[in-house]
Amino acid sequence: MFNQLLINGLIAGAIYALVASGFSLIYSVCKFVHFAHGVVIALAGYFLYFLFSIVGLNFGFSIILAIIFASLSGFLINQIVYRQLRKRKAGNTILLIASVALLIFFESLILILFGADVKTIGYIKIAKGIEIFKAIITPLQIVIIAVSIILLVVLFLFMKKTKIGKAMRAVADNKDVAEIVGISSEKIYSWSFIIGSAIAGIAGILVGLEQNLEPTMGTNLIIKGFTAAIIGGISSVPGSILGAFLLGFAENFGIWFLPSGYKDAIAFIILFIFLLFRPQGIIANQSGKGSRVK
Amino acid sequence: MLKIKNLRSGYNGIEVLHGVDFEIKPAEIVAIIGPNGSGKSTLLKSIFNLCEIYSGAIIFKDKDITKLPTHYLIQEGISYVPQGRQIFSNLTVKENLEMGCFIMDDHEIFKRNVSDVFSKFPVLKERQNDLALHLSGGEQQMLAIARALVQDPELLLLDEPSLGLAPKIMKEIFEKIVEINKEGVSIIIVEQNAKQAVEIAHRTYVLENGSIVLEGGKEILKDERIKNIYFGGE
Repeated sequence: MFNQLLINGLIAGAIYALVASGFSLIYSVCKFVHFAHGVVIALAGYFLYFLFSIVGLNFGFSIILAIIFASLSGFLINQIVYRQLRKRKAGNTILLIASVALLIFFESLILILFGADVKTIGYIKIAKGIEIFKAIITPLQIVIIAVSIILLVVLFLFMKKTKIGKAMRAVADNKDVAEIVGISSEKIYSWSFIIGSAIAGIAGILVGLEQNLEPTMGTNLIIKGFTAAIIGGISSVPGSILGAFLLGFAENFGIWFLPSGYKDAIAFIILFIFLLFRPQGIIANQSGKGSRVK
Repeated sequence: MLKIKNLRSGYNGIEVLHGVDFEIKPAEIVAIIGPNGSGKSTLLKSIFNLCEIYSGAIIFKDKDITKLPTHYLIQEGISYVPQGRQIFSNLTVKENLEMGCFIMDDHEIFKRNVSDVFSKFPVLKERQNDLALHLSGGEQQMLAIARALVQDPELLLLDEPSLGLAPKIMKEIFEKIVEINKEGVSIIIVEQNAKQAVEIAHRTYVLENGSIVLEGGKEILKDERIKNIYFGGE
Protein backbone atom coordinates (compact mmCIF):
# COMPACT_ATOMS: atom_id res chain seq x y z
CA MET A 1 0.00 0.00 0.00
CA PHE A 2 2.72 2.47 1.01
CA ASN A 3 4.72 1.83 -2.13
CA GLN A 4 1.64 2.15 -4.30
CA LEU A 5 0.74 5.50 -2.75
CA LEU A 6 4.34 6.63 -3.14
CA ILE A 7 4.27 5.84 -6.84
CA ASN A 8 0.84 7.41 -7.29
CA GLY A 9 2.15 10.51 -5.52
CA LEU A 10 5.16 10.57 -7.81
CA ILE A 11 2.96 10.37 -10.92
CA ALA A 12 0.67 13.14 -9.72
CA GLY A 13 3.68 15.20 -8.64
CA ALA A 14 5.31 14.80 -12.05
CA ILE A 15 2.22 16.22 -13.77
CA TYR A 16 1.80 19.02 -11.23
CA ALA A 17 5.48 19.88 -11.56
CA LEU A 18 5.09 20.43 -15.29
CA VAL A 19 2.09 22.67 -14.68
CA ALA A 20 3.66 24.56 -11.80
CA SER A 21 7.08 25.08 -13.37
CA GLY A 22 5.69 26.86 -16.43
CA PHE A 23 3.25 28.81 -14.32
CA SER A 24 5.85 30.04 -11.86
CA LEU A 25 8.34 30.72 -14.66
CA ILE A 26 5.83 33.13 -16.18
CA TYR A 27 4.98 34.53 -12.74
CA SER A 28 8.59 35.14 -11.77
CA VAL A 29 9.45 36.87 -15.03
CA CYS A 30 6.24 38.82 -15.68
CA LYS A 31 5.10 39.26 -12.05
CA PHE A 32 1.45 38.44 -12.46
CA VAL A 33 -0.72 35.36 -11.98
CA HIS A 34 -1.46 33.83 -15.36
CA PHE A 35 -4.40 31.53 -14.56
CA ALA A 36 -5.09 31.06 -18.27
CA HIS A 37 -1.97 28.89 -18.21
CA GLY A 38 -4.43 26.12 -17.32
CA VAL A 39 -6.33 26.44 -20.54
CA VAL A 40 -3.12 26.21 -22.58
CA ILE A 41 -2.82 22.73 -21.09
CA ALA A 42 -6.35 21.86 -22.18
CA LEU A 43 -5.81 23.37 -25.64
CA ALA A 44 -2.79 21.12 -26.19
CA GLY A 45 -4.73 18.02 -25.15
CA TYR A 46 -7.68 18.84 -27.38
CA PHE A 47 -5.48 19.81 -30.30
CA LEU A 48 -3.76 16.43 -30.05
CA TYR A 49 -7.18 14.76 -29.94
CA PHE A 50 -8.24 16.75 -32.99
CA LEU A 51 -5.13 15.95 -35.03
CA PHE A 52 -4.72 12.32 -34.04
CA SER A 53 -8.22 11.02 -33.34
CA ILE A 54 -10.27 13.14 -35.76
CA VAL A 55 -7.93 14.13 -38.61
CA GLY A 56 -5.91 10.96 -38.28
CA LEU A 57 -2.39 12.32 -38.46
CA ASN A 58 0.65 10.33 -37.40
CA PHE A 59 0.93 10.21 -33.59
CA GLY A 60 4.45 11.61 -33.20
CA PHE A 61 3.73 14.39 -35.65
CA SER A 62 0.49 15.26 -33.82
CA ILE A 63 2.37 15.50 -30.53
CA ILE A 64 4.94 17.89 -31.96
CA LEU A 65 2.21 20.04 -33.51
CA ALA A 66 0.27 20.06 -30.24
CA ILE A 67 3.32 21.31 -28.32
CA ILE A 68 3.93 24.02 -30.90
CA PHE A 69 0.24 24.93 -30.76
CA ALA A 70 0.38 25.29 -26.97
CA SER A 71 3.51 27.39 -27.14
CA LEU A 72 2.01 29.60 -29.82
CA SER A 73 -1.26 30.08 -27.97
CA GLY A 74 0.61 31.16 -24.82
CA PHE A 75 2.68 33.55 -26.91
CA LEU A 76 -0.39 35.01 -28.61
CA ILE A 77 -2.34 35.36 -25.35
CA ASN A 78 0.54 37.48 -24.08
CA GLN A 79 0.90 39.49 -27.28
CA ILE A 80 -2.76 40.14 -27.95
CA VAL A 81 -4.14 40.53 -24.43
CA TYR A 82 -1.56 41.07 -21.70
CA ARG A 83 0.84 43.19 -23.70
CA GLN A 84 -1.90 45.54 -24.85
CA LEU A 85 -3.11 45.87 -21.26
CA ARG A 86 0.42 46.61 -20.04
CA LYS A 87 0.75 49.29 -22.73
CA ARG A 88 -2.30 50.93 -21.19
CA LYS A 89 -0.51 50.76 -17.84
CA ALA A 90 -2.79 48.06 -16.43
CA GLY A 91 -1.76 46.81 -13.01
CA ASN A 92 -1.30 43.19 -11.97
CA THR A 93 -4.85 42.88 -10.67
CA ILE A 94 -6.24 43.74 -14.08
CA LEU A 95 -3.94 41.21 -15.70
CA LEU A 96 -5.12 38.62 -13.16
CA ILE A 97 -8.76 39.32 -14.00
CA ALA A 98 -7.94 39.15 -17.70
CA SER A 99 -6.29 35.78 -17.16
CA VAL A 100 -9.40 34.39 -15.43
CA ALA A 101 -11.51 35.76 -18.28
CA LEU A 102 -9.26 34.04 -20.81
CA LEU A 103 -9.51 30.80 -18.89
CA ILE A 104 -13.31 30.91 -18.97
CA PHE A 105 -13.37 32.06 -22.60
CA PHE A 106 -11.19 29.25 -23.92
CA GLU A 107 -12.90 26.61 -21.81
CA SER A 108 -16.23 27.70 -23.25
CA LEU A 109 -14.72 27.61 -26.71
CA ILE A 110 -13.57 24.03 -26.16
CA LEU A 111 -17.05 23.22 -24.89
CA ILE A 112 -18.66 24.63 -28.03
CA LEU A 113 -16.22 22.93 -30.39
CA PHE A 114 -15.89 19.52 -28.75
CA GLY A 115 -18.88 19.20 -26.41
CA ALA A 116 -19.04 18.51 -22.71
CA ASP A 117 -18.52 14.78 -22.88
CA VAL A 118 -15.23 13.19 -21.97
CA LYS A 119 -12.90 12.47 -24.88
CA THR A 120 -10.29 9.77 -25.06
CA ILE A 121 -7.27 10.07 -27.30
CA GLY A 122 -7.03 6.29 -27.31
CA TYR A 123 -3.51 5.90 -28.61
CA ILE A 124 -2.43 3.80 -25.71
CA LYS A 125 -4.62 0.79 -25.10
CA ILE A 126 -5.23 0.11 -21.47
CA ALA A 127 -2.02 -1.64 -20.66
CA LYS A 128 -1.40 -4.08 -17.90
CA GLY A 129 0.64 -2.52 -15.16
CA ILE A 130 4.10 -3.66 -14.28
CA GLU A 131 4.75 -4.61 -10.71
CA ILE A 132 7.67 -2.86 -9.04
CA PHE A 133 8.24 -3.13 -5.29
CA LYS A 134 4.71 -4.48 -4.81
CA ALA A 135 3.28 -1.41 -6.55
CA ILE A 136 1.65 -1.34 -9.93
CA ILE A 137 2.67 1.20 -12.56
CA THR A 138 1.78 1.32 -16.24
CA PRO A 139 4.38 1.96 -18.95
CA LEU A 140 2.73 5.29 -19.72
CA GLN A 141 3.07 6.33 -16.12
CA ILE A 142 6.78 5.54 -16.24
CA VAL A 143 6.99 7.69 -19.36
CA ILE A 144 5.19 10.53 -17.55
CA ILE A 145 7.65 10.49 -14.66
CA ALA A 146 10.65 10.23 -16.99
CA VAL A 147 9.49 12.99 -19.34
CA SER A 148 8.71 15.26 -16.43
CA ILE A 149 12.08 14.79 -14.78
CA ILE A 150 14.00 15.18 -18.04
CA LEU A 151 12.08 18.34 -18.92
CA LEU A 152 12.66 19.87 -15.52
CA VAL A 153 16.39 19.18 -15.77
CA VAL A 154 16.46 20.70 -19.25
CA LEU A 155 14.58 23.75 -17.97
CA PHE A 156 17.04 24.10 -15.10
CA LEU A 157 20.05 23.95 -17.44
CA PHE A 158 18.37 26.35 -19.84
CA MET A 159 17.88 28.90 -17.05
CA LYS A 160 21.45 28.50 -15.79
CA LYS A 161 23.46 28.22 -18.96
CA THR A 162 21.85 30.00 -21.89
CA LYS A 163 21.84 33.70 -22.57
CA ILE A 164 18.04 33.87 -22.79
CA GLY A 165 17.70 31.83 -19.60
CA LYS A 166 20.02 34.16 -17.73
CA ALA A 167 18.20 37.17 -19.13
CA MET A 168 14.92 35.67 -17.90
CA ARG A 169 16.38 35.39 -14.42
CA ALA A 170 17.71 38.93 -14.72
CA VAL A 171 14.29 40.33 -15.66
CA ALA A 172 12.67 38.27 -12.89
CA ASP A 173 15.18 39.75 -10.48
CA ASN A 174 15.16 43.40 -11.44
CA LYS A 175 13.32 44.45 -14.58
CA ASP A 176 14.42 48.09 -14.40
CA VAL A 177 18.11 47.23 -14.34
CA ALA A 178 17.55 44.70 -17.11
CA GLU A 179 16.18 47.52 -19.26
CA ILE A 180 19.21 49.66 -18.42
CA VAL A 181 21.64 47.06 -19.77
CA GLY A 182 19.58 46.79 -22.95
CA ILE A 183 17.47 43.70 -22.21
CA SER A 184 14.00 44.33 -23.59
CA SER A 185 11.64 43.06 -20.91
CA GLU A 186 8.79 42.63 -23.40
CA LYS A 187 10.96 40.25 -25.43
CA ILE A 188 11.84 38.29 -22.33
CA TYR A 189 8.16 38.15 -21.32
CA SER A 190 7.46 36.61 -24.73
CA TRP A 191 10.17 34.03 -24.15
CA SER A 192 8.75 33.08 -20.78
CA PHE A 193 5.33 32.54 -22.36
CA ILE A 194 6.78 30.52 -25.23
CA ILE A 195 8.76 28.22 -22.94
CA GLY A 196 6.22 28.03 -20.10
CA SER A 197 3.39 27.25 -22.53
CA ALA A 198 5.40 24.57 -24.32
CA ILE A 199 5.87 22.82 -20.98
CA ALA A 200 2.14 23.26 -20.31
CA GLY A 201 1.47 21.68 -23.70
CA ILE A 202 3.52 18.63 -22.79
CA ALA A 203 1.62 18.40 -19.49
CA GLY A 204 -1.67 18.55 -21.41
CA ILE A 205 -0.60 15.77 -23.73
CA LEU A 206 0.50 13.51 -20.88
CA VAL A 207 -2.70 14.13 -18.94
CA GLY A 208 -4.73 13.55 -22.08
CA LEU A 209 -3.05 10.20 -22.63
CA GLU A 210 -3.15 9.09 -19.01
CA GLN A 211 -6.63 10.24 -18.15
CA ASN A 212 -9.25 11.73 -20.45
CA LEU A 213 -9.98 15.12 -21.90
CA GLU A 214 -12.71 17.31 -20.54
CA PRO A 215 -13.24 21.04 -21.04
CA THR A 216 -12.56 21.90 -17.38
CA MET A 217 -9.30 19.97 -17.15
CA GLY A 218 -7.32 23.21 -17.42
CA THR A 219 -8.98 24.78 -14.40
CA ASN A 220 -8.48 21.65 -12.32
CA LEU A 221 -4.83 21.46 -13.22
CA ILE A 222 -4.02 25.13 -12.78
CA ILE A 223 -5.51 25.02 -9.29
CA LYS A 224 -3.11 22.21 -8.48
CA GLY A 225 -0.25 24.00 -10.20
CA PHE A 226 -1.04 27.21 -8.37
CA THR A 227 -1.22 25.39 -5.03
CA ALA A 228 2.09 23.68 -5.75
CA ALA A 229 3.66 27.03 -6.63
CA ILE A 230 2.38 28.63 -3.42
CA ILE A 231 3.70 25.74 -1.33
CA GLY A 232 7.13 25.89 -2.87
CA GLY A 233 7.43 29.63 -3.40
CA ILE A 234 5.66 31.11 -6.38
CA SER A 235 8.54 33.12 -7.79
CA SER A 236 10.97 30.24 -7.60
CA VAL A 237 10.78 27.59 -10.32
CA PRO A 238 12.69 24.94 -8.30
CA GLY A 239 10.48 25.79 -5.32
CA SER A 240 7.29 25.23 -7.25
CA ILE A 241 8.59 21.89 -8.52
CA LEU A 242 9.30 20.86 -4.94
CA GLY A 243 5.79 22.03 -4.01
CA ALA A 244 4.33 19.97 -6.86
CA PHE A 245 5.82 16.72 -5.63
CA LEU A 246 4.87 17.51 -2.02
CA LEU A 247 1.31 18.14 -3.15
CA GLY A 248 1.24 14.91 -5.15
CA PHE A 249 2.38 12.93 -2.11
CA ALA A 250 0.06 14.76 0.29
CA GLU A 251 -2.96 14.09 -1.88
CA ASN A 252 -2.20 10.42 -2.32
CA PHE A 253 -1.15 9.68 1.23
CA GLY A 254 -4.22 11.57 2.39
CA ILE A 255 -6.35 8.74 1.04
CA TRP A 256 -4.91 6.66 3.81
CA PHE A 257 -6.93 8.66 6.29
CA LEU A 258 -9.73 10.07 4.18
CA PRO A 259 -12.05 8.81 1.45
CA SER A 260 -10.50 9.33 -1.97
CA GLY A 261 -13.16 11.90 -2.82
CA TYR A 262 -11.36 14.31 -0.50
CA LYS A 263 -8.27 14.42 -2.71
CA ASP A 264 -9.03 17.90 -4.04
CA ALA A 265 -10.01 19.14 -0.60
CA ILE A 266 -6.54 18.23 0.65
CA ALA A 267 -4.99 20.50 -1.98
CA PHE A 268 -7.21 23.39 -0.95
CA ILE A 269 -6.55 22.92 2.76
CA ILE A 270 -2.80 22.97 2.12
CA LEU A 271 -3.24 26.05 -0.06
CA PHE A 272 -5.06 27.89 2.73
CA ILE A 273 -2.56 26.85 5.37
CA PHE A 274 0.31 28.17 3.26
CA LEU A 275 -1.47 31.37 2.28
CA LEU A 276 -2.17 32.05 5.96
CA PHE A 277 1.10 31.07 7.56
CA ARG A 278 3.80 31.06 4.91
CA PRO A 279 2.61 32.92 1.82
CA GLN A 280 6.16 33.23 0.49
CA GLY A 281 6.36 29.42 0.26
CA ILE A 282 9.07 27.03 1.37
CA ILE A 283 11.74 28.58 -0.81
CA ALA A 284 11.35 32.31 -0.47
CA ASN A 285 12.97 34.36 -3.16
CA GLN A 286 15.14 37.12 -1.81
CA SER A 287 15.06 39.35 -4.82
CA GLY A 288 13.39 42.65 -5.42
CA LYS A 289 13.60 43.93 -1.88
CA GLY A 290 12.52 47.49 -2.59
CA SER A 291 15.06 47.73 -5.34
CA ARG A 292 13.64 50.03 -7.91
CA VAL A 293 15.11 52.66 -10.14
CA LYS A 294 13.50 55.83 -9.02
CA MET B 1 31.36 65.21 -26.24
CA LEU B 2 27.82 65.47 -24.89
CA LYS B 3 25.75 68.58 -25.20
CA ILE B 4 22.29 69.23 -23.83
CA LYS B 5 20.33 72.13 -25.22
CA ASN B 6 17.35 73.68 -23.49
CA LEU B 7 16.11 70.38 -22.11
CA ARG B 8 12.64 70.13 -20.63
CA SER B 9 11.78 66.74 -19.21
CA GLY B 10 9.91 65.03 -16.39
CA TYR B 11 7.47 62.27 -15.53
CA ASN B 12 3.79 61.73 -16.33
CA GLY B 13 3.44 65.15 -17.91
CA ILE B 14 4.94 66.99 -14.95
CA GLU B 15 7.98 68.98 -15.93
CA VAL B 16 10.99 68.58 -13.63
CA LEU B 17 13.76 70.16 -15.69
CA HIS B 18 12.87 73.58 -17.06
CA GLY B 19 15.28 74.25 -19.90
CA VAL B 20 18.69 72.91 -18.92
CA ASP B 21 21.88 73.53 -20.90
CA PHE B 22 24.76 71.25 -20.13
CA GLU B 23 28.03 70.13 -21.62
CA ILE B 24 30.76 67.59 -20.93
CA LYS B 25 34.05 67.44 -22.82
CA PRO B 26 36.09 64.29 -23.52
CA ALA B 27 37.85 62.81 -20.46
CA GLU B 28 36.13 65.20 -18.08
CA ILE B 29 34.45 64.49 -14.78
CA VAL B 30 31.43 66.73 -14.38
CA ALA B 31 29.56 66.79 -11.10
CA ILE B 32 25.90 67.72 -10.76
CA ILE B 33 24.94 68.79 -7.29
CA GLY B 34 21.89 70.37 -5.78
CA PRO B 35 19.27 69.84 -3.11
CA ASN B 36 16.82 66.94 -3.05
CA GLY B 37 14.23 67.10 -5.80
CA SER B 38 16.17 69.60 -7.86
CA GLY B 39 16.20 67.25 -10.85
CA LYS B 40 19.73 65.87 -10.71
CA SER B 41 18.72 62.27 -11.35
CA THR B 42 16.20 63.39 -13.94
CA LEU B 43 19.04 64.94 -15.92
CA LEU B 44 20.83 61.58 -16.11
CA LYS B 45 17.59 59.77 -16.87
CA SER B 46 16.88 62.19 -19.70
CA ILE B 47 20.19 61.31 -21.30
CA PHE B 48 19.42 57.61 -20.95
CA ASN B 49 15.83 57.99 -22.16
CA LEU B 50 14.28 56.84 -18.90
CA CYS B 51 11.88 59.74 -18.50
CA GLU B 52 9.69 61.89 -20.72
CA ILE B 53 11.38 64.55 -22.82
CA TYR B 54 9.16 67.48 -23.77
CA SER B 55 11.61 69.64 -25.68
CA GLY B 56 15.28 70.27 -26.26
CA ALA B 57 18.03 68.12 -27.69
CA ILE B 58 20.76 65.82 -26.44
CA ILE B 59 23.76 65.64 -28.76
CA PHE B 60 26.44 62.97 -28.31
CA LYS B 61 29.50 63.13 -30.57
CA ASP B 62 27.60 65.36 -33.05
CA LYS B 63 24.68 62.94 -33.18
CA ASP B 64 21.22 63.65 -31.87
CA ILE B 65 20.54 60.87 -29.38
CA THR B 66 17.36 62.29 -27.84
CA LYS B 67 14.87 59.52 -27.09
CA LEU B 68 16.96 56.72 -28.60
CA PRO B 69 16.39 53.22 -27.18
CA THR B 70 18.72 51.92 -24.50
CA HIS B 71 20.62 49.31 -26.50
CA TYR B 72 21.44 51.98 -29.07
CA LEU B 73 22.82 54.32 -26.40
CA ILE B 74 25.01 51.54 -25.01
CA GLN B 75 26.35 50.83 -28.49
CA GLU B 76 27.07 54.52 -28.92
CA GLY B 77 29.18 54.37 -25.76
CA ILE B 78 26.99 55.64 -22.94
CA SER B 79 26.50 53.55 -19.82
CA TYR B 80 24.34 54.31 -16.84
CA VAL B 81 24.67 53.28 -13.19
CA PRO B 82 21.37 53.95 -11.42
CA GLN B 83 20.96 55.06 -7.86
CA GLY B 84 20.95 52.65 -4.94
CA ARG B 85 23.25 49.70 -5.78
CA GLN B 86 21.04 48.32 -8.50
CA ILE B 87 22.21 44.80 -9.25
CA PHE B 88 20.68 41.44 -10.08
CA SER B 89 20.76 40.05 -6.56
CA ASN B 90 19.91 36.45 -7.42
CA LEU B 91 22.51 36.22 -10.16
CA THR B 92 26.18 35.60 -9.52
CA VAL B 93 28.71 38.40 -9.82
CA LYS B 94 29.90 36.97 -13.12
CA GLU B 95 26.35 36.62 -14.46
CA ASN B 96 25.70 40.23 -13.52
CA LEU B 97 28.63 41.26 -15.70
CA GLU B 98 27.45 38.97 -18.47
CA MET B 99 24.10 40.72 -18.40
CA GLY B 100 25.98 44.01 -18.73
CA CYS B 101 27.22 42.65 -22.06
CA PHE B 102 23.79 41.35 -23.06
CA ILE B 103 23.62 43.31 -26.29
CA MET B 104 27.09 42.27 -27.44
CA ASP B 105 27.36 39.16 -29.54
CA ASP B 106 31.11 38.85 -29.46
CA HIS B 107 32.17 36.51 -26.67
CA GLU B 108 35.85 37.44 -27.00
CA ILE B 109 35.16 41.11 -26.36
CA PHE B 110 33.08 40.13 -23.36
CA LYS B 111 35.90 38.04 -21.92
CA ARG B 112 38.41 40.84 -22.43
CA ASN B 113 36.16 43.47 -20.89
CA VAL B 114 35.42 41.26 -17.90
CA SER B 115 39.10 40.60 -17.24
CA ASP B 116 39.76 44.36 -17.51
CA VAL B 117 37.05 45.02 -14.98
CA PHE B 118 38.31 42.27 -12.68
CA SER B 119 41.76 43.82 -12.64
CA LYS B 120 40.15 47.09 -11.61
CA PHE B 121 38.00 45.47 -8.94
CA PRO B 122 39.96 42.45 -7.65
CA VAL B 123 37.35 41.80 -4.96
CA LEU B 124 34.76 41.07 -7.65
CA LYS B 125 37.08 38.54 -9.24
CA GLU B 126 37.45 36.77 -5.91
CA ARG B 127 33.71 36.61 -5.48
CA GLN B 128 32.71 36.06 -9.11
CA ASN B 129 30.70 32.91 -8.38
CA ASP B 130 28.87 34.30 -5.34
CA LEU B 131 25.33 35.55 -5.57
CA ALA B 132 25.34 39.33 -5.74
CA LEU B 133 23.02 39.60 -2.77
CA HIS B 134 25.76 38.22 -0.53
CA LEU B 135 28.12 41.08 -1.37
CA SER B 136 28.63 43.98 1.02
CA GLY B 137 27.14 47.37 0.20
CA GLY B 138 30.39 48.73 -1.17
CA GLU B 139 30.98 45.62 -3.25
CA GLN B 140 27.47 45.84 -4.66
CA GLN B 141 28.10 49.42 -5.72
CA MET B 142 31.37 48.34 -7.32
CA LEU B 143 29.49 45.59 -9.12
CA ALA B 144 26.94 48.09 -10.43
CA ILE B 145 29.77 50.26 -11.76
CA ALA B 146 31.60 47.21 -13.13
CA ARG B 147 28.46 46.11 -14.94
CA ALA B 148 28.45 49.44 -16.74
CA LEU B 149 32.21 49.31 -17.43
CA VAL B 150 32.06 45.95 -19.23
CA GLN B 151 30.05 47.81 -21.85
CA ASP B 152 33.28 49.72 -22.55
CA PRO B 153 31.67 53.18 -22.33
CA GLU B 154 33.08 56.51 -23.42
CA LEU B 155 30.66 58.31 -21.15
CA LEU B 156 29.64 56.95 -17.77
CA LEU B 157 26.58 58.28 -15.95
CA LEU B 158 26.76 57.75 -12.19
CA ASP B 159 23.71 58.44 -10.05
CA GLU B 160 24.70 58.93 -6.39
CA PRO B 161 27.36 56.24 -6.20
CA SER B 162 28.08 57.05 -2.54
CA LEU B 163 24.49 56.70 -1.34
CA GLY B 164 24.25 54.76 1.90
CA LEU B 165 27.91 53.78 2.06
CA ALA B 166 30.29 54.13 5.01
CA PRO B 167 32.77 57.04 4.63
CA LYS B 168 35.72 54.72 4.13
CA ILE B 169 33.97 52.77 1.37
CA MET B 170 32.75 56.03 -0.12
CA LYS B 171 36.33 57.23 -0.40
CA GLU B 172 37.30 54.01 -2.13
CA ILE B 173 34.49 54.40 -4.66
CA PHE B 174 35.51 57.99 -5.41
CA GLU B 175 39.11 56.84 -5.94
CA LYS B 176 37.90 54.24 -8.40
CA ILE B 177 35.90 56.87 -10.25
CA VAL B 178 39.01 59.04 -10.65
CA GLU B 179 40.95 55.98 -11.80
CA ILE B 180 38.32 55.13 -14.42
CA ASN B 181 38.37 58.72 -15.63
CA LYS B 182 42.18 58.67 -15.99
CA GLU B 183 41.73 55.91 -18.56
CA GLY B 184 39.83 58.37 -20.72
CA VAL B 185 36.21 57.74 -19.74
CA SER B 186 34.11 60.89 -19.35
CA ILE B 187 31.98 60.79 -16.25
CA ILE B 188 28.87 62.65 -15.18
CA ILE B 189 28.35 62.16 -11.49
CA VAL B 190 25.24 63.18 -9.61
CA GLU B 191 25.86 63.52 -5.89
CA GLN B 192 24.19 64.39 -2.63
CA ASN B 193 27.67 64.40 -1.19
CA ALA B 194 28.55 67.71 -2.79
CA LYS B 195 31.96 68.39 -1.34
CA GLN B 196 33.58 65.16 -2.41
CA ALA B 197 31.97 65.22 -5.83
CA VAL B 198 33.19 68.77 -6.52
CA GLU B 199 36.66 67.83 -5.41
CA ILE B 200 37.08 65.02 -7.94
CA ALA B 201 35.23 66.87 -10.71
CA HIS B 202 36.78 69.14 -13.31
CA ARG B 203 33.61 71.17 -13.43
CA THR B 204 30.39 71.30 -11.48
CA TYR B 205 26.83 72.30 -12.25
CA VAL B 206 24.47 73.27 -9.48
CA LEU B 207 20.82 72.47 -10.05
CA GLU B 208 17.98 74.06 -8.15
CA ASN B 209 14.29 73.55 -8.88
CA GLY B 210 15.00 72.12 -12.29
CA SER B 211 17.31 74.87 -13.53
CA ILE B 212 21.05 75.31 -13.49
CA VAL B 213 21.90 78.15 -11.14
CA LEU B 214 25.66 77.91 -11.09
CA GLU B 215 28.51 76.39 -13.02
CA GLY B 216 32.22 76.34 -12.29
CA GLY B 217 35.32 74.58 -11.01
CA LYS B 218 36.37 73.70 -7.50
CA GLU B 219 36.06 77.33 -6.40
CA ILE B 220 32.32 76.78 -6.56
CA LEU B 221 32.40 75.45 -3.01
CA LYS B 222 33.26 78.91 -1.78
CA ASP B 223 30.26 80.47 -3.44
CA GLU B 224 27.82 82.01 -0.97
CA ARG B 225 24.82 80.32 -2.51
CA ILE B 226 26.40 76.88 -2.28
CA LYS B 227 27.35 77.54 1.29
CA ASN B 228 23.75 78.43 2.00
CA ILE B 229 22.36 75.32 0.32
CA TYR B 230 24.79 72.82 1.70
CA PHE B 231 26.99 74.07 4.41
CA GLY B 232 24.73 76.53 6.16
CA GLY B 233 25.13 74.66 9.38
CA GLU B 234 28.90 74.34 9.25
